[in-house]
Order: sequence, then C-alpha cells, then structure tokens
Amino acid sequence: MNHEPKDKILSICADYGNQPDTLIEILHDVQVELGFLSTEALIQIADALNISRADIHGVVSFYDDFRREPTQGPTVKICRAEACQAVGGEDLAKHAKETAHTNIHDVYCLGNCALGPAVLIGDDLYGRVTPERLDALLKTKAAP
Amino acid sequence: MSARAIYVPCDAAALSVGADDVAAAIEQEAAKRDVQIKIIRNGSRGMLWLEPLVEVETDTGRTAYGPVAPEDVAELFDAGFLNGGTHDLSHGLTEDIPYFAKQERLTFVRCGITDPLSLEDYQTHGGLAGLRKTLTLSPEAIVETVTQSGLRGRGGAGFPTGIKWKTALEIDASQKYICANADEGDSGTFADRMLMEGDPFVLLEGMVIAGLAVGASIGYIYIRSEYPHAIKTMGRAVQIWQAANLLAGSGQTFEIIIRRGAGAYICGEETSMLESIEGKRGQIKVKPPLPAIEGLFGKPTIINNVLTLASVPIILDKGAGYYRDFGQGRSRGTQAFQLGGDIKRGGLVEKAFGVSLRELVEGFGGGSRSGKHIRTVQAGGPLGAYIPPHEFDVEMDYEKLADIDAMLGHGGLVVFNEDVNMAKQARFAMKFCEVESCGKCTPCRIGAVRGKETLDKIIAGENVAANLALLDEICELMTDGSLCAMGGLTPMPVQSAIKHFGEDFKG
Amino acid sequence: MALLIEKDFGTPASVSGEVIHLEIDGQNIQVPGGTSVMRAAELAGIDIPKLCATDTLEAFGSCRLCLVEIGGRRGTPASCTTPVEGGMVVVTGSEKLHKLRKTVMELYLSDTDNDPALVSLAQDLGVDDMPYDGCPQTSGKDETNPYFTFDPGACIVCSRCVRACDEVQGTFALTIEGRGAASKVAASMAEGFFDSECVSCGACVEACPTNALVENTVLDKGEPDRTVLTTCAYCGVGCSFKAELKGDELIRMVPLKDGKANHGHACVKGRFAYTYANHEDRITKPMIRGTTDEPWREVSWDTALNYAAERLKSTQKKHGVKSIGGITSSRCTNEEVWVVIKLIRAGFGNNNVDTCARVCHSPTGYGLMQAFGESAGTQNFDSVMDADVIMVIGANPTDAHPVFGSQMKRRLRQGAKLIVADPRAIDLVNTPRFKADYHLPLTPGTNVALINAMTHVIVTEGLIDEGFVQARCDKKSLASWLDFIKDPINAPDVMAEITGVSADDIRASARLFAEGGNGAIYYGLGVTEHSQGSTMVMAMANLAMITGNIGRAGVGVNPLRGQNNVQGSCDMGSFPHQFSGYRSVTDDATRSLFEDTWQRQLDPVPGLKIPGMFNEAVAGTYKGMYIQGEDVAQSDPNTHHVEAALRNLDILIVQDLFLTETARFAHVFLPGTSFLEKDGTFINAERRIGRVRPVRSSPTGKDEWQVTQDLGRAMGYDMGHESASEIWDEIAGLTPTFANVSFAELDKRGSIQWPFNDDHPDGTEIMHVDSFTRGKGNFVLTEYIPTTERTNRRYPLILTTGRILSQYNVGAQTRRTHNSQWAGEDFLEIHPSDADTYALQDGAWASIKSRKGETSLRVKISKRMAPGVVYTTFHHPESGANIVTTENSDWATECPEYKITAVNVRPTNHKSDWQKNLVVASQKSRRITEPAA
Ligand SMILES: Nc1nc2c(c(=O)[nH]1)N[C@H]1C(S)=C(S)[C@@H](COP(=O)(O)OP(=O)(O)OC[C@H]3O[C@@H](n4cnc5c(=O)[nH]c(N)nc54)[C@H](O)[C@@H]3O)O[C@H]1N2
Ligand SMILES: Nc1nc2c(c(=O)[nH]1)N[C@H]1C(S)=C(S)[C@@H](COP(=O)(O)OP(=O)(O)OC[C@H]3O[C@@H](n4cnc5c(=O)[nH]c(N)nc54)[C@H](O)[C@@H]3O)O[C@H]1N2
Ligand SMILES: Cc1cc2nc3c(=O)[nH]c(=O)nc-3n(C[C@H](O)[C@H](O)[C@H](O)COP(=O)(O)O)c2cc1C
Ligand code: SF4
Ligand code: SF4
Ligand code: SF4
Ligand code: SF4
Ligand code: SF4
Ligand code: FES
Ligand code: FES
Ligand SMILES: [Mo]
Repeated sequence: MNHEPKDKILSICADYGNQPDTLIEILHDVQVELGFLSTEALIQIADALNISRADIHGVVSFYDDFRREPTQGPTVKICRAEACQAVGGEDLAKHAKETAHTNIHDVYCLGNCALGPAVLIGDDLYGRVTPERLDALLKTKAAP
Repeated sequence: MSARAIYVPCDAAALSVGADDVAAAIEQEAAKRDVQIKIIRNGSRGMLWLEPLVEVETDTGRTAYGPVAPEDVAELFDAGFLNGGTHDLSHGLTEDIPYFAKQERLTFVRCGITDPLSLEDYQTHGGLAGLRKTLTLSPEAIVETVTQSGLRGRGGAGFPTGIKWKTALEIDASQKYICANADEGDSGTFADRMLMEGDPFVLLEGMVIAGLAVGASIGYIYIRSEYPHAIKTMGRAVQIWQAANLLAGSGQTFEIIIRRGAGAYICGEETSMLESIEGKRGQIKVKPPLPAIEGLFGKPTIINNVLTLASVPIILDKGAGYYRDFGQGRSRGTQAFQLGGDIKRGGLVEKAFGVSLRELVEGFGGGSRSGKHIRTVQAGGPLGAYIPPHEFDVEMDYEKLADIDAMLGHGGLVVFNEDVNMAKQARFAMKFCEVESCGKCTPCRIGAVRGKETLDKIIAGENVAANLALLDEICELMTDGSLCAMGGLTPMPVQSAIKHFGEDFKG
Repeated sequence: MALLIEKDFGTPASVSGEVIHLEIDGQNIQVPGGTSVMRAAELAGIDIPKLCATDTLEAFGSCRLCLVEIGGRRGTPASCTTPVEGGMVVVTGSEKLHKLRKTVMELYLSDTDNDPALVSLAQDLGVDDMPYDGCPQTSGKDETNPYFTFDPGACIVCSRCVRACDEVQGTFALTIEGRGAASKVAASMAEGFFDSECVSCGACVEACPTNALVENTVLDKGEPDRTVLTTCAYCGVGCSFKAELKGDELIRMVPLKDGKANHGHACVKGRFAYTYANHEDRITKPMIRGTTDEPWREVSWDTALNYAAERLKSTQKKHGVKSIGGITSSRCTNEEVWVVIKLIRAGFGNNNVDTCARVCHSPTGYGLMQAFGESAGTQNFDSVMDADVIMVIGANPTDAHPVFGSQMKRRLRQGAKLIVADPRAIDLVNTPRFKADYHLPLTPGTNVALINAMTHVIVTEGLIDEGFVQARCDKKSLASWLDFIKDPINAPDVMAEITGVSADDIRASARLFAEGGNGAIYYGLGVTEHSQGSTMVMAMANLAMITGNIGRAGVGVNPLRGQNNVQGSCDMGSFPHQFSGYRSVTDDATRSLFEDTWQRQLDPVPGLKIPGMFNEAVAGTYKGMYIQGEDVAQSDPNTHHVEAALRNLDILIVQDLFLTETARFAHVFLPGTSFLEKDGTFINAERRIGRVRPVRSSPTGKDEWQVTQDLGRAMGYDMGHESASEIWDEIAGLTPTFANVSFAELDKRGSIQWPFNDDHPDGTEIMHVDSFTRGKGNFVLTEYIPTTERTNRRYPLILTTGRILSQYNVGAQTRRTHNSQWAGEDFLEIHPSDADTYALQDGAWASIKSRKGETSLRVKISKRMAPGVVYTTFHHPESGANIVTTENSDWATECPEYKITAVNVRPTNHKSDWQKNLVVASQKSRRITEPAA
C-alpha cells in the first residue's frame, strides 16, 4: 500500500483521539475512504488504537456493515423483514439477487415498514419498491 | 402578502417516496408562476400512506395534500392549493384528518408540525418547558416525578423508568452516562426514526433531564446505521443544541455524543449496545451488574429508548398526573403504535394504552392495502407473537397482551394477508435468530439453527409430530435457558404461529 | 500421586468480608458476599454441571448448563453469573433443570464431532440418543502451532480460550469471529495460531473444556493418569507445575492453580519447551579426553571421576592450591549447588567459586545489601496487584518473566499507571488495552543520571515522604545524600542532555511516582549490566525510600532475577567472598561454623570472581575449572578472551546436559540431570523456595549432587550425603534464614518465602516491613559517571543485548525444542532511520564490529529501537553476540556491561571469520569415539 491511505487512516484515527471506543466510527469512516476494510488498514487501526488484531477482526466480522473485499458502487440494502415480506419484499429480493448486482445485501428493516418493500441505496431510502423500480434505481443510482 | 409557507416533510419515509422531488417541483412551479412561497421541511405527521404529504399554511390552518407526486404539482397550483383549494389529493385541514385527530399526541406533539432543526420553533411549540422546570428540582424530585408518571420503557421490556433512574441516582460515581437507545431494530417499527427526524430536540431535552436526574454529564445516542437520515438530523440537532448552551448558569453540563451502529440487530439489547459503544463486538453481557450500576465504561448508565426519553419533557412540563391520566392499569400514558406491512393506512398512531388492536388495524389502518383478508398481525417486532383475528379485540397494553401470550415490544404492528404461510414465518423467526443473535449462548446460537432445520423438516412433511415435539423442546430451552431475550423470545412468534395456525404445520 | 485434579469452583473467589447465609439443596451455607451461587454450591460439595465457567476466569454465562431454580425468582438463572444473596433458597436439580441441561447437551452434540468430554458429560446428563442429524462444523483443524491443535469440530464456542488469552495471559490474540450461529474461534485475523499474535503460553489450551484445544502430546499419546508436582527450571518466576504422566511417560506440564508464583499460568517455555530433556543431543554418559584435539571417549563414572580428580590434584600440586576453582549453576538445585560450593571450599581448599549471578544480578545483591541489608527483592509477585504506579526500568517482563508480565499487565489493565525506562519500546509500552503513561527512552548507560534527576525533582519539589524517612532511614546518610541530590548538576534540565529524555518527562514521571499512591519499581539487566550497575540499584533504593515505598504490599524495589535458581545459588553462597546467607568468608565465627560441619579448615581469604578466573587463566596462574551448567564460552562477554582463558586450562570439567560451547575446551564431561530427573529445591525471584521432584530416574545413573560428591571422594574429601533432603538439612542448619525449612515443611506448605525461621514462622512475603534488615535504611551517594565505552566516528552506534520470549539464554535447551520455530536465529534490530543511514535492508546480512570483535547477523528493521541504538540477543552460538561485547564491568561487582558496546554496522554478504571457524571447531571438538567393545 502506498503512503496516502495510511496517512488518511491514521488521521481518521487521530480525529477520534485514537480512542478504542470509537472503533466502529473509525471503521465506518475508513470504509467510506477505501471502499472496504483492507487487512493493512485494519492492522494500522489496531496499532493506533492499542487493540489487538484479534480484537479488530472480532469487531469487523460481527457487524454486517463492514466489507473485507473491494466493492463497486454504493451498497444496496434490501429489506427482508416481516413488514416488507408482507408486501412482496421476498420477490423483490429474489429479483435483485437474479440481477446479480455485486453489492446487494440483506437487511432486516429500514424503518419504512408502512411503505414497503424498502430499499436503501447508499444513504438514500426508497419505499414501495417494485422490481421494475429497483431495476431503474440500480441503473441510475447504483451503477458500479 | 408574505410568502406562503408550504410544508414538505424531510422524514426518510417521505423521502423514500419522493418528497425531495416534490419539494423541488413546487419550488420550480412557484418560480415559474412567480409566486412567493417558503418551503419548510418538517417532520412527518405519521400518516405515511399520504406521503409525500404537502401542507399549505392557510388562514384556517394547515391544509393537507397527499400523496403528492411531482407531476401533480402544476395541477395543485392550478387548483389554488396555495389558498387551500380543493383537489383530488386534498384532505382538508391536516388536524382534522380523522387518523390524526383521533390520536393523543404527547410524545409526538410537535412531530410533523415544526421544522425539526429550528430551536425557535421547538420553543414556540412547548419545547424546553420541561427542562426549565427540571432545573428547579432536586434530582430526587425529578426521579419521583418520572416514577409517579408511571412511564415505562418503550424499548420493549416496559421496565418502570423512574425505578431505573433511582438505581443510578443512588450510586456514588465519578461519572455516569445516559444512553439513548436509537437502534430501533424491530421490524415494523419506525417511531424512533420519525421522532429523531421530526423533533430531535425533544430527545435531547429528555436526555438532559435524565442527566440532571441521575447526575450524568455525558449522553450517547446509539443510532443504527440503517438510519442515515436520522443520523444526519440528530447530528445537526446536537450541534445546534450544544451551541445554544441551554444549561448556562445552571452549574451543570451535558455533553452529547452520537454513535453509529453497524448492522447488528442484537445491538439494540442494552448490554450489547454498551459493548458496541465501547467499540467492541456487540456480545451480550450478563446481568448483574445492572447497567444502572455498572454500565458504559464500568460506570452507572441509564439506557432508555428514544421514546422513553422523549416522553420525559412533557411529563416534567405538565406533571406526572397529566401523563398518568392516559392509559389504563399498569400501562400509563400513550404508546406510539406503528402500522406496517399490508395495511391501507400505514403510519404512526400515538394513542393512550387500551386502544384495541382492531381499532388500530381496521379503524386507523383501514384494513389491508392489498384488499385481501387479514390473516394475522405480528405485534412487537420479530420476537413478537402472531396474533390471530379472533384476538383482535385485545386491548393494547403490556398486561393484556401478556395474557394472550403476546407482547407490545416497541409498538410495531405488521399486518399479513391471507397469502402468508405461517410455517415459513416460524422458520423465518428461527433464521432471523440464527443470523442476528450475538452467538454467545448455546440455546440461541445452536437452538435457532436446529429449530430452523426442524421447521424445514416439518414443512417438508417429515415426521411432523415428532419434529413438532422436538421443536417444542428447543423452544422450551430457548425460552428458559437463553441468556437474553433474543433467544428467550424467538420462540414467541414460532409458538404463536403453531398455536393459532396449526393448519400450516401439517407438512 | 494419582492424577491431581484441582477442584474447579467455577468462578473466582470473592474477597468480600461480608458473610452471606443461604440454602442450597437443603444445606445451609455461608460464603463471602459476591460469591456466585455456583461457587457457593461447589464449596459445599454440590456439583453443578458447567462448561463455560472455570474459577480462573470471570463468569461468562454462555453454556447455560448450570441453570438453577431460586425460590421467589422467575425462570432458571445461571448459577455461575448469579451472586448469592442472604436467605436465598437454591435448587440445583429438578425435573425441569434436567430437561434443560439435556437439551443443551443434545444441541452441543449436534454441533460437534464426538468430543469425548462432551459425550461423557452428555451421558451423565441423561442424553441417550441424538435427536438431530449431526452436522459437525467442517472447517479444518489448525495445526500451525507445534505444541497444540485447534479442532473446530470439538469447539463449543464457550470463549474460555478467548477469555483466558485476555484475562490470564493478556495477549488478546483470540476472538470470536462473526456472530450468531456463524460464531467461531479465530486467532488474530483468522491467521492460524502460529502466525497470529499468540505467544503460545497455552492458557487457552488449559482453559478449553473440550478437545478443541489440546496439547499434541495428548493427541499422540493419550490422557495422563498421574501427577508429580514440580517447579519450572527456566526463569526466575519459578512457576509451579503438575507434571502429568501416563505410566512413566511425561505427557504434559500443567501449571498448578495453587502455585503461589503463577496461580495456574505458565509460558511457552515451562509449559511446552521441556522436550530438550529427550533430545538426541543429550549426553548421558561420562566422557573424557586427553586434549581438546582428541575425540571424546565414553567411560565409566569411576574412570571419569578418577581421571578428573587426578588432573585437578596434579594441577594444584603444580600451580598451587588456588590454581583451580569452579562455577556453580543457577540452573541447578540448591542442593546441587551446595555440594559444588562445599567441594570447592572444603575439597579444593579455596574460595574460587562464583556463579552466573556475576554476569546478571550481582549488582542487585551488592546494592540492596548496602541500602537495606538484604540481597534480595523486597516483595512477592502478588504485591504488584496493589501497586498504583509501576516503574519498569531495564526489564522486559513480557518476554523474560512472562507469567509475572501477565500479572503486571492485569494490574495495568485495572488502571495502575506505568512508567517504562528503556531505550527500546518493549511490549509493555504499547500493548492491547493500555499504554505506558511515560516511556523514557534513555540512552543506554544513563540510568543513574535519569534516576538522580527524578529524585532531584522529588526532593526539590518537596515530595519526600518525610514521615517515612524520619522514622525508617539513617539520618546521617540521608543528610549527606540530600545535599548531593539537590545539587543542580542533578537537575532534569542537565540530565535531559545526558539521558536524551526530556526534562518535562523526567519531572512528570517523578511527580507521578511520588504522588501516585503505591509506587513499585521493577528492574532487570538494563540496570545491572552496566559499569554503574550497583550505583543504579542503590539509586533506586534511594528513590523508594524517599517516597516511602518500602515495607508493604504494592511497593518495593524488585529485581526480576533471571534464572530459575539464581536467587538460590546466591543464597547458598556461590560467591568467592560469601557463605550462605551472605556472610563473609572473612568472618571467623561463621567460618568456624562451616569448618565444624564440613570437617575441614576453610580459607579465610576471598577467592576469584569469574572475570578474575579468566584473567588469571589467560595469565597462566589459574589452571583448572569445574563448571556446572553454565556456558561461559557463549554467555560471558568478550568471547575471544573467554576462549583464550579456557584454552589455557590444564583441566576443564564441564557438567551439563549437552556438549556446549564451553565443552569444546573441556577434558572431562560429566552428564547432568534435567529438572525432570531432579529432587531438590529452587528459589525464585521472590525468595520463594519450591520443590523440584523427579518424574523419572536419572538417565546417567546418578543424581547430579552425587556426581559432585563422588568427585570430592575421588579427591579425598567425602561429604557422605545420602539424599537431597539431607543436604538441605545441612543448608538449613548452617543458614539462619532457612532455619526452619525442610522438605517435609515444603511438602506441607507447597512453597515458602525466606526468611523462614523462628522470627518468621510463616515465611516472609514482604521484607523490611517495620524496619530494614540492616536497621535503618541507608542512603548511598550515587554520582553519575559515564561508561568508558563511548561511541565515536568509527563505532557510531550503541549495541545493547538481551533476550526474547521463546529462547532461553544460550539456547542449549530451547533451541532443542519447537520454540525455534518462532526464533530460529538472532537478529540485529535497528531503527529504520539508522537502517537507511547504514544501507541495511530488512532480512539482509549486516556485519557488526566492535573494538573487541566482529560478527554477522540478519537485519530486522524495527521502530521499537531508538535511533542510534541497535539490539540483538545471544541465544544462538553462531551469532556471536558476545564476540563483540567488552569486558567492561560494574565497578563494585564486575558484572559485565553487556548492555553497551560501541559498534559499527555495514551490509555484508558473508559471516565473520570467527563464525566460519566456529563451525569447523564445533564439529571437531564434539566428535565422540565409539567405546571399545
Ligand atoms: N524468554 C527468556 N526469559 C528469560 C531469559 C531468556 O533468555 N529468555 N533469561 C533469564 C535471565 S538469566 C535473566 S537475567 C532475565 C533477564 O530479564 P531482563 O532483565 O528483562 O532482560 P533483558 O532483556 O536482557 O534486558 C531488559 C531490558 O533492558 C533494556 N536496557 C538495555 N540497556 C539499558 C539501559 O541502559 N537502561 C535501561 N533502563 N534499560 C536498558 C533492554 O532494552 C531490555 O529491554 O530473564 C530471564 N528470563
Ligand atoms: N550478550 C549478552 N550476554 C549475556 C546476557 C545478556 O543479556 N547479553 N545475559 C547474561 C545473563 S543474565 C546470564 S544469567 C547468562 C546466562 O548464561 P548461561 O548460564 O551460560 O546460560 P543458560 O542457557 O542459562 O544455561 C547454561 C547451561 O546450563 C545447562 N543446564 C541447564 N539445566 C541444567 C542442569 O540441570 N544441570 C546442568 N548440569 N546443566 C544444566 C544448559 O544446557 C546450558 O548449557 O548469560 C549472560 N550473557
Ligand atoms: C434482542 C433485543 C433487541 C432490542 N432492541 C432494542 C431496540 O432496538 N431499541 C430499544 O430501545 N430497545 C431494544 N431492546 C430493549 C433494550 O434491551 C432495553 O431494554 C431498552 O433499551 C431500555 O430502555 P427502556 O427502558 O426505555 O425501554 C432490545 C432488547 C432485546 C433483547
Ligand atoms: S440469547 Fe442469543 S442474542 Fe442473547 S446472549 Fe444468547 S446468543 Fe446472544
Ligand atoms: S496460547 Fe496463550 S497467547 Fe496463544 S492464543 Fe492461547 S492464551 Fe493466547
Ligand atoms: S476452543 Fe475450547 S475454549 Fe475455545 S471456544 Fe472452543 S471449546 Fe471453548
Ligand atoms: S514464566 Fe518462567 S518459570 Fe514460569 S513457565 Fe515461563 S519460564 Fe518457567
Ligand atoms: S540469573 Fe542468570 S545471571 Fe543471574 S546468576 Fe543466574 S544465570 Fe547468572
Ligand atoms: S420491515 Fe422492511 S422496512 Fe421495516
Ligand atoms: S457454567 Fe454457567 S452458563 Fe456455563
Ligand atoms: Mo540472568
């Protein structure tokens, strides 16, 4: 890895005072910066925060948000929870998986349960998403 | 004439169905027509089926139009909506819409009415009155008021808030914390989100009051990462709040820090949440010690749900008795019910405890969106029971729901129509537990997997009776043996489905 | 004895003074407040099934086997996580509980692959058949660690391993990866144990309730069936162990929970690296040769001993009584050391006896004796748990005293403050969960300057503990010391120049130490192995005294003594000037005591120290040596000089386990016994006497002390000892500090901290409680005098040397175990900026040249080093660390200045001449001819 991401990572950690309790915030920010959490990045964070590699691995692997492999385009989260199931969410999810977008993930509730099926693309929430609407959204918002 | 005030919500649900586009279209259309308007981005009123719900400030009050699509905007102008003109999309005065009018809004009293980030608006509509009162009271008196109000935790367990606070107050410690639980992981719930996006200051006010009550000077708000809008709004609200320095002169301080979740349902459980705030795996910790005695960073910590904390200012403002007079039995005050799933008028209904499920689903909700027959309502999130139609008259309070082996949880109500297969829903409950539990204890970590597999066998018609018996054994262990309520309650949807919809479990 | 299974009470003991009464299964029970229901039940003899709980770890509550019913409470709480309450009525067994436990076990069996422990527990709990199709986890075994295997198929994800690594060892190398049903154990970032942060202490293996983590020896040979209690023979921590055997075969070493120094913990050496004792290189037959050019000849004991005796006697005849002498081994038992001392003093008739303490902690003995009147550390290890400010000076406990290092880390995680004075950033400076509050990376050799500046700050800022110094210390010495220390030459701003540590950090550390509560000093060779080693020991004693940090738990001046029995070998009197108990050979009364018992006239004149022996050997006046278990040719400084000395001897007898570097120069080789074959005692760094018990008979046919005694007999001095126990009785009879110690007493008590006599009937955890051994504490003036070893243009860098975790000293033992997989060679560690300056690449070869010699090592670039300072270890003979070190030494004790050598480094592509010669010489000198049939 060249120096720039490393400096960036260290400066993110420093912004949080290198405090171990801010790890999850740091991981979010670094992931935004790099698109994913590389092994090198994690080791640098662990060093900066005085935690072990095992500590950071345990945390990263516990939470769904964190990605260890490079991804393309914004994350697409499709709600698989009950309220969306009740209005066709499962068909939508199936459709989405078939369109084979690389960065599609299951999520359980997006807080849009009156307007399901719900989808979150990056930071943008969509309601009443039909397969057709999803296709259109993926084309415009989530093209890798 | 001064510019017409037009309200277009910035609530995520409204945005999810195009509120931004509508706001832009109105702006454009007004410019085109050269009329002076002022668009205010308010929170949502909670009538989500009407979103984007555009309100126009008229002489008689705020007039509602919805759901508005960008292509409707020109027509609305044509119909004179700036003066309250009628249109297919108009609903008259917002406050008169029965869905809204019939509610008892205490916690959500300002939500949808104000500009969420205007502290001025907040005060004009009654904000900060509770805090001002609080500053005249001793910690003991604050706690006593909350105790007397009968307020119970809205996060699901319904624990009396005053008693929790008293525990923390009585501990002598160099540092104490308030944590607002904004993880709102239950499917079918969105009230915390709506409140944080629609009236964030009330949460902050509630946290400060809690801090004053127990002697805590730092507060954390743990917001799930699935709520990017809420995170943004709360973040700005905290900046504005801190800048206003509302405790100046009181000799007290209160710092507020926002922490994001990272996609783990279990982090809504309080010990798991504390671990997560400490930057760790969200693994459940055993109690005792209670967090109120030894919580965040080992210090006494009050963890309350967003709605619990947001209910505190009005209690302090209007008095314990005022709040207590709502509700029934040991369930006092109001509850934010959230109607979701296959429902015609989905949204948020704040009502005193005691309203019937039928009234909520059929009255407020207007039945299913699909027009199909309603087969069941799941109350209280993914760990809640599936309630059959013959129980729909149950009065919604903690005890009455417990009597029918159901629970209120965070007040989410998810409506399913006749197409639902209850064995699959039961399987989903186990599957959900398999992926979302923390994995610490055996009944839940392995039980959920074996439970799911056993349900697969039942669904496939393999040794149904024997497998139902085995499933029962797993459920018993999960209920009685799990370390936390995640594993402890997962059997609730499963067993309610079997009990009430046995026909779906015949293979 | 039969296999010793120490009872597991499930959760740690509570220290509360409050007494709680409760009822469990109808029994009335009293326990301290804070005790778990589980522990209360276990104390009353009621066993509750458990898998995730163990009394070495905090309760966790994950397996849910230990559920109980409690009167008046809903549900079935876990007994391990539920504290007792007054009046509680607990039921540990009921229909419902049995059913729940049975279901838990069914779930475990459904998720694992026939683990024997689980299967048998399941049977006990009533599981007769499996209701589920088994679906064991499929991911592969982790066999990367040479000592143990992780089998996920037997893992119940109870986190005991993770918690042991965190709570007991403090390395945080393990985690649970993922969550929910996907949870599984991972080492570091799922790297496999070997490549992970794991230091192979084995705590996780020990904690594992199944065979998921298990010693490879158990997998290969099966479960042990009997136990012998013994003590680790590596470092000065002195961990107590259960040697677990199957029949006569040693299966594994398990640290004893009841061990007072280690409380059930161990390190990679003690737990795993005992296998050198079975290595094919081990010599078990006596050997002799005429000259060192000849190959060795295996001979009978009698032949060897008579040959040795004759050559010793003829040397004495030719060169005088004082022309021979010997070195005792701090690796051997007190009893073995005792007979060597006795042989030299009474048999040889002189005082030419010394030991490796000379090159190690001799300044400690001298300095503490001057200040306090006793040549030993002031505390027990557990004392650290009461320390509020810990100052670690020139010691690296996580590598060199790992079990104590773990204990110290535990205290630091609880919030004690830490000051580290070390030119290198040792692990303690920056380790998971805490950082040193101050790391003072002083220039090697400037300890005295640093400590003088710190004490200057304390004195001039009025932070002295007046009450303590007035009551406890010698007024006269105090007054003159105060005058000295107040002098501005000792001011931080002046000393900052010399030490390279900022004046602000000096002041801040001084204030923290003086004002931070209980202040404890822990130090090592970074203090002693210097020209001012003794001065520094006294300077630290001064610091402790003026801050009132002596005489209670949590304080003290604590040398982290090195070898398993270095304290003991010193206590026995392995010194040219002292008898046991640090009594002078010039003292007539003491001498006559010994003369009475030993039945010989003893020399009243002190003998030669090790450096003196070598100097006189080079000069040709010292001609014969008997060296027990010390490889001076590798470990003593300035190897060229040592080799020259050894080469000049007429007779060199080496008693060892292996043909060492020193044995290259020997004429007689007497095979020793390993600790697995010894009966006797070791004394650890906290003055704790522990028993070493044989787990098998000596492969040489003799105990080591017998060999020494037989050598004496061959020389005409018969000691007549019959057992180790009886030798000890002689020691106790002649040494007041040990007066009441006997093997029987040790067997009863487990271990004893000396003094143990009528004045100290229960031994002594903490010394100098009410007064100092010498009466009043003595302040010695400690002027800073720089070493003569200076850097210059030709030798611009300072080389400092030390050790690492997995290798031990000359490596004779650890190199012959799997430990070498972690450290197969010694490296030259260097800061990136220096590496840049001297064009050195990571992993490439560098030549290191001092005024004394030259060697080549591979480079490891590391930010732990300070610029200007390079580091290496001395664990491999061919590395030649001591080829470069000098014979500079401590002014008072001649302890070598291993920690400072001015060197230059440059890239190279070949080994040094000495290294090349060594290979040839080694092979030649180690030839053994087959004995004539
Ligand atoms: N694994 C393992 N354990 C061992 C041993 C072993 O070889 N391997 N050997 C045992 C023996 S015999 C002994 S004596 C002990 C030794 O144990 P320690 O005393 O801990 O040993 P060292 O690593 O030699 O040196 C300690 C530290 O002194 C620092 N130092 C060097 N120069 C200076 C200086 O001028 N000032 C200060 N303040 N610090 C300095 C070094 O950087 C090093 O970190 O360990 C014992 N335990
Ligand atoms: N450059 C440099 N050199 C150093 C040091 C340093 O820091 N830097 N440290 C110095 C220090 S502190 C020390 S203590 C010395 C240690 O140096 P040594 O004492 O030479 O080294 P050890 O490895 O402890 O073991 C010595 C010998 O004892 C043998 N032995 C082990 N057990 C037994 C037994 O039961 N019986 C017999 N007969 N023999 C046994 C071993 O096989 C080995 O050959 O090294 C010193 N040398
Ligand atoms: C699996 C699980 C998930 C939970 N999720 C939430 C949540 O998302 N939000 C919440 O406020 N409480 C949640 N809780 C309840 C909290 O543990 C806790 O009881 C609550 O935050 C306390 O606040 P209250 O007393 O104000 O309700 C959850 C509990 C469990 C067992
Ligand atoms: S019940 Fe489930 S979520 Fe709760 S501690 Fe056990 S494994 Fe974790
Ligand atoms: S062997 Fe020791 S260091 Fe390694 S993982 Fe196990 S407990 Fe941790
Ligand atoms: S390896 Fe052993 S100790 Fe670790 S989680 Fe698995 S069963 Fe428990
Ligand atoms: S710490 Fe020392 S005594 Fe204990 S096991 Fe390790 S080497 Fe042996
Ligand atoms: S501990 Fe090491 S240096 Fe000290 S006497 Fe023993 S062997 Fe020698
Ligand atoms: S269930 Fe899909 S958004 Fe809530
Ligand atoms: S022993 Fe108590 S839960 Fe495992
Ligand atoms: Mo040593």
